[in-house]
Amino acid sequence: MNVDISQTIIRIAEIIINELKLEDVTPQTFDPDLDLVDEVGVDSMDLATIALVLRDEYGIRIDEDDYPKLTTVRIIAEYINTKLADDE
Amino acid sequence: MADQGAENREYKFSEIIADPAIRARWEKVRKYFFLRESTYDMSNRCNIRCEGCYYFNGEKQFAEENLHVADWKKLMETEKERGITFVVLAGAEPSLVPQLCQTCYDVIPLGCIASNGLKVLPQEIDYRIHISVWGNDQTSLEIRKAKDMLARQIENYRNDPRAVWVYTFTPVNIDQAREVTELLADNGHQITFNMFSAPVGYNGHLRHTPQTLAHTRTTMSALLTDFPQTVLFSPYNIMAHTHERGLHDLFSCSYPRMNPSTDIGLGRSFRQYRTDLQWDRAAACCVPDTDCDDCRHYAAGSAVVTARMYRHATNPLTFSAWLDYVDTYLAVWVRGYEKSTNLCQEMIEPPKI
Repeated sequence: MNVDISQTIIRIAEIIINELKLEDVTPQTFDPDLDLVDEVGVDSMDLATIALVLRDEYGIRIDEDDYPKLTTVRIIAEYINTKLADDE
Repeated sequence: MADQGAENREYKFSEIIADPAIRARWEKVRKYFFLRESTYDMSNRCNIRCEGCYYFNGEKQFAEENLHVADWKKLMETEKERGITFVVLAGAEPSLVPQLCQTCYDVIPLGCIASNGLKVLPQEIDYRIHISVWGNDQTSLEIRKAKDMLARQIENYRNDPRAVWVYTFTPVNIDQAREVTELLADNGHQITFNMFSAPVGYNGHLRHTPQTLAHTRTTMSALLTDFPQTVLFSPYNIMAHTHERGLHDLFSCSYPRMNPSTDIGLGRSFRQYRTDLQWDRAAACCVPDTDCDDCRHYAAGSAVVTARMYRHATNPLTFSAWLDYVDTYLAVWVRGYEKSTNLCQEMIEPPKI
């Protein structure tokens, strides 16, 4: 499956905004290169919650050891697209 | 109540939390995901000296005491700035330095104090207070060299909603847990359970064996069944803490001492300050100097099991067990949080990775 990364980025941003109840930002205005930990304040439990929603959405497993690597929306999008490509 | 036969197929997370009871509990506990803890040794003194004491092992006992309120205030303000929202004041006996506890409370109002309960902490310090109990008063006299401990603890903290007793199971006090629980129940108090976890190098008679772990498991189960209003625990707590494999082996401990990652979670934010207000990443965990292979400590589980949400979100039963664990953790550690009825009555195995 060849997924357009910009669509994935928008969808991940939407999930993060919903799960963290972020205000004053939309999926379109969410900077995909923001550091989720340092600049958005995401902690491990937030990330685990986001990972579960992504698991539902994309049907992929996110290894717990991979969490620390998932530092931006863009990196998460690339991670998901790679997983989806691997599953093809 | 979770579906008892639902673990055999793959579930989406949205399916798991579609169960109204699970969703309600999930929404209840996730409000507390903002808690970020660190721990602090408050004093290098104690008014009793117990065999196997976690504080008087290793190097931390030799750190110089800093009794300057201004220094503690500055430390707490710095901690708050770096995102710490929950403090655990322990070692050796925090009630001996109430002015420092008050200073912590004034800056970070969520927290817990581990105390032997022999000296009352001022009411103004509205943290949870964990009062340690290691058996009946005869055993306490033998191991802790203190007379009438439980009677004095109960008198000191009568009708005090801050207090929860923490019963540490050792191989020699398992059968005394019932009389202690009964006494606390009669006095309207609550109790939770801890497991003696050997300090590094300790090979004394308090180290658990497979037989004493099994005996502890059946004892905890009976007490949880017989005293549901008094015992703050769940079947999954019992499973996790009496398993022959320790917490690190089961769940991969996320404290810095065992976790090299500084990217996110405890590995990033947790510090364990000594009485000189210094900390050492290589030694940073909730109970430094514990033999990690033997660690079944209640404080460790509260962070380590709780952090492993993702691996428990596989089916309603396993996720319910995890929710019970988190619900127990919050009830034990956070003032004002009320424990709900456990969702999962089965004692399920921790998920395999």
